[in-house]
Amino acid sequence: MKRIALFAVGLLLVASTAMAAGPVKIGLMAPLTGPWASEGQEMKQVLDLLSADLNAKGGLLGQKVEVIAEDDGGDPKTAALAAQRLTTKGVAAVIGTYGSSVTEASQNIYNESKIIQIANGSTAVRLSEKGLKYFFRTCPRDDEQGRVAAQTIQKMKAKNVAILHDNTTYAKGLAAEAKALLKGVNIVFFDALTPGERDYTAILTKLKAAKPDVVFFTGYYPEAGLLLRQKMQMKWNVPFIGGDAQNNPDLIKIAGKEAASGFYFLSTPLPKDLPTKESKAFVDTYKKKYRNAPSSIYALLAGDGFRVITAAIKEKKSVDPDVLAAFLKKGFKDDRGLTGRIAFNAKGDRVGELYRVYKVDAKGNFILQK
Amino acid sequence: MEEFFQQFANGLAVGGIYALIALGYTMVYGVLKLINFAHGDLFTIGAYLGLTVLAALGLTEFYGAVIGVLLVAIMIMGMLAAIGAVLDRAAYRPLRESPRLSAVVSALGASIFLQNLVMLVYGARFQVYPLDILPSTAVSLFQVDIPVVKIIVLAASILLMAVLYLFVQRTRIGTAIRAAAIDQGAARLMGIDVNRVILIVFLIGPALGGVAGLMVGLLYGQINFTMGWTYGLKAFTAAILGGIGNIPGAMVGGLLLGVIEALGAAYISIAWKDAIAFCVLIAILIVRPTGLLGERVAEKI
Repeated sequence: MKRIALFAVGLLLVASTAMAAGPVKIGLMAPLTGPWASEGQEMKQVLDLLSADLNAKGGLLGQKVEVIAEDDGGDPKTAALAAQRLTTKGVAAVIGTYGSSVTEASQNIYNESKIIQIANGSTAVRLSEKGLKYFFRTCPRDDEQGRVAAQTIQKMKAKNVAILHDNTTYAKGLAAEAKALLKGVNIVFFDALTPGERDYTAILTKLKAAKPDVVFFTGYYPEAGLLLRQKMQMKWNVPFIGGDAQNNPDLIKIAGKEAASGFYFLSTPLPKDLPTKESKAFVDTYKKKYRNAPSSIYALLAGDGFRVITAAIKEKKSVDPDVLAAFLKKGFKDDRGLTGRIAFNAKGDRVGELYRVYKVDAKGNFILQK
Repeated sequence: MEEFFQQFANGLAVGGIYALIALGYTMVYGVLKLINFAHGDLFTIGAYLGLTVLAALGLTEFYGAVIGVLLVAIMIMGMLAAIGAVLDRAAYRPLRESPRLSAVVSALGASIFLQNLVMLVYGARFQVYPLDILPSTAVSLFQVDIPVVKIIVLAASILLMAVLYLFVQRTRIGTAIRAAAIDQGAARLMGIDVNRVILIVFLIGPALGGVAGLMVGLLYGQINFTMGWTYGLKAFTAAILGGIGNIPGAMVGGLLLGVIEALGAAYISIAWKDAIAFCVLIAILIVRPTGLLGERVAEKI
């Protein structure tokens, strides 16, 4: 067995050195099917546009760039298979993927094969705390969201704050993060609701009795919509703040425009609110080609991953993962990323604050708060 | 004290819906000694068909909210009764002479089938009822705010339960149902068409479950294809709490379960709400294995 394995590895090495003469291959691992398929399809479209643009400008290292997409189905098991397939295809780096648990299933596979992975939607803190050498991400971490949440609540000058989560890893973590960071306020309520129910009046009545100035709900948008709607029916006027899992137009459909109006939530900037000239130009090209603007910021974060790795290859004139990883962690700076300035710290996390505060207006639009 | 009454009122409104669904479990169990696990999915189908009828026919626009919703409710009851009859014919009747376990497995299979059918037809994402078909205002009674919709839902479910109770107690068909519940063989000997009685039970139970689905849609606005599981489980608990097979027991059990949940959430912990409800169930089953009202008169031989 060992001998066969060695032989296979040898063959791979030969194959990958032979590849170097061919096109530069960049892998994309994305949920092209499954519950997050619409996000995944957009990621592929963004990478197709960017690689076509790069090839029109002469490609990389005198070669064409080729994007090789593998479907992870939004599912950890499929992701492990997709990652194994990509490692055999001689890719210089992999962009992806979306969900944290899905990324986690593929991290070690890439790391052992010495392939740089740049995740675009995986926000769980632990992913970059493992000390993997070749792991990067262009999206922020959950603890940063907790920080922005705490800042926002403090800016609202609330004395009494209620925090409600739903016992999922993400929501509970965010709630605990915000609670620890909230200084000088009383946490008058900290508890979880059961997701998937319809009637939250019992919880709302209890919350109301605790008399908070603001309620921070860290769960997902279906429950948030119901909470807002039932809060209005109770004639209770208290500001609600939500986490980035509530950034979904369906929230307005569930709550109704009247009940959703005035609701704050944290999110990475929506594509329509991106700051730079580059991002505006890119969104325009995208609109021309695919008829509507990208709805997901995560697709653009995948685009940023592609820009980062191709810029690094160009700068270092190499596809050696050690050279590239060292360069990305030290010395890399992209001031014109699709989602703003990009640089990485030693853990491979993106440096800088990306979260913004949004407010729902009376028409149900998401308005960026300055 | 104000909070206590508010929670009590919250609990009653949810309990009314539990009770309405529980009636379907209890009637089928009473006659067939079968737990119809597909009942929760019939409830889901009621919610989805309600949305479809509301959207397609726009009845509320033509006839105004109250009459429109009433018409939709009657249509939903009719459709669900038909589905219930088909379910009995396809999933249960072929197994009537088999051991009871086969029918229970068949019920579980029917549940999975119906749930996936709803997902295939309507999609896996949740759907949203049009807002404010019924007035969204609240009335204040002794500083307790109760949304008008909830009062309507509670009143409607109590009315339906009362009608059902009178039907079972006062009509010939009702007498036949009660007779079949006591002893199917003897009822057959007395000239009762037991299969027809079972069919009637499978018309009434799903109709009530379907109307409960419509109510949940109107009340909360958001429905998805797995919602029947949670509501079904709660209603099943309510039926056992009140004494399964007993119609007033299902009503009392449903209302009580709603109130226990709301008060448990208020005074113990929100996250433990379901656990508290089930602990109460276990406690009652230990003290009173037949449920609260489940004292069956010993059958004389």
